Amino acid sequence: MPPSSPAPTDPKDLGVLIEDEHLPAGRDDLLEPLAAHSQRERLLVAIAETTAEKGYGATTIADVCAAAGVSRATFYELFKDKDDCFHAAMELSLADAMGGIVAVYSPDKPWAKMVRDAAATFLELLASRPTFARMAMIEAPSAGGHSYELYASGKRVLQSLLERGRDDPMEEEAIPSSAARAALAAAESLIVGQILSGNTERLPELLPDVVYITTVPYLGQEEALRQAREAERERAAADS
Amino acid sequence: MIARSQRERLLSAAIDVVAEKGYAATTVADLTKEAGISRTTFYEMFEDKEACFLAAYEAAVDVLTRRIATAFEAELGWPARVRAGLDALLSSLAAEPQLARLALVDVGSAGPAAQRRYRAALQRMTPFFDEGRDYAPNGRALPANTSRMAIGAVIGLIVDEIEEGRTERLPDLLPEVLFATYLPYLGPEAAAREVGESATPTKK
Repeated sequence: MPPSSPAPTDPKDLGVLIEDEHLPAGRDDLLEPLAAHSQRERLLVAIAETTAEKGYGATTIADVCAAAGVSRATFYELFKDKDDCFHAAMELSLADAMGGIVAVYSPDKPWAKMVRDAAATFLELLASRPTFARMAMIEAPSAGGHSYELYASGKRVLQSLLERGRDDPMEEEAIPSSAARAALAAAESLIVGQILSGNTERLPELLPDVVYITTVPYLGQEEALRQAREAERERAAADS
Repeated sequence: MIARSQRERLLSAAIDVVAEKGYAATTVADLTKEAGISRTTFYEMFEDKEACFLAAYEAAVDVLTRRIATAFEAELGWPARVRAGLDALLSSLAAEPQLARLALVDVGSAGPAAQRRYRAALQRMTPFFDEGRDYAPNGRALPANTSRMAIGAVIGLIVDEIEEGRTERLPDLLPEVLFATYLPYLGPEAAAREVGESATPTKK
């Protein structure tokens, strides 16, 4: 993505941002695990699970067909190739994930509260869907092609959300334009490390860290630490 | 280069070929041809393409980490030390674009073992960052994962630059990379101040 992508001056509804990025809109009827009724759905579940296990590069169409219990001929009736099938699986799951993120948005919610809610929603979502977590955060970024584009679009939506922190009173000129991109990369690296070390279900524990790193450029250190503690309190309250 | 060992030739061939063709498309035949060694010799040294790639990766990371450490140790005070270390990292990557690509981009698509090595390589930068915790007035209140996140931010900025085809201009990225490093330890105002200060003086 271009480092110089401007912060949106007109605070748009997140749903509009998602449309701008041509991401599929959230749909409530597609909750994972996907209802594996049709052969197409079985293949989508199979490619998500197989790539999560073996990595995208090592996954073959034969693996996916075997896992889905679907013939090779049927695969090629439904999909052009491996990339096409993986992209479809990614699209379906991402629609669901983005739906969850959009739901935290409301025009009168303070920015910091929105970041806390979005981070909590995102971490909970990944923790409860380990296959999606692996696909979206690890396989899609390295798969290249259309799946990479989807991943990059999702990231741009989150970046736009963060860049609105610039509207809050802070010495804006001192902050490099790459601050939101850097903060997202920091959070992403932490999340990916946790997934790769096999602790996906414990991702929500990273909430205070993620809230700190995404708010500190705009709110300053003291306030970002306070936001991190507040996020942790909200999480504890939601758990009990 | 005289009398470089076959192993060294092979490791450097692995970096060049993978950088050019991508990991998936690289074959053992490509590697032996580029290194000028026989297939038999290849299989005496490595079990397969992946083992060779991982060894090349490890060697490249060793070189980079040593350069960062040398630059870091030569300075006093965390802001200056980390600036020197990151400057060394950026100029090394800029001078060797194939190595930069291999170390930070291609490694993601080279399978789970390579991804684990990559994470381990990132962790080797932790000491350079975590000294910031002692330097920072608020050090003890900072999140446990501060160094991981700072490293993630720095690497993310560098990878974006490589993906945009600006590997040769990586040294220009120093102010942004420094800000991302200082930020979680010192907060935005102090981070911006340190970036400004380190940009002016004692630069040869």
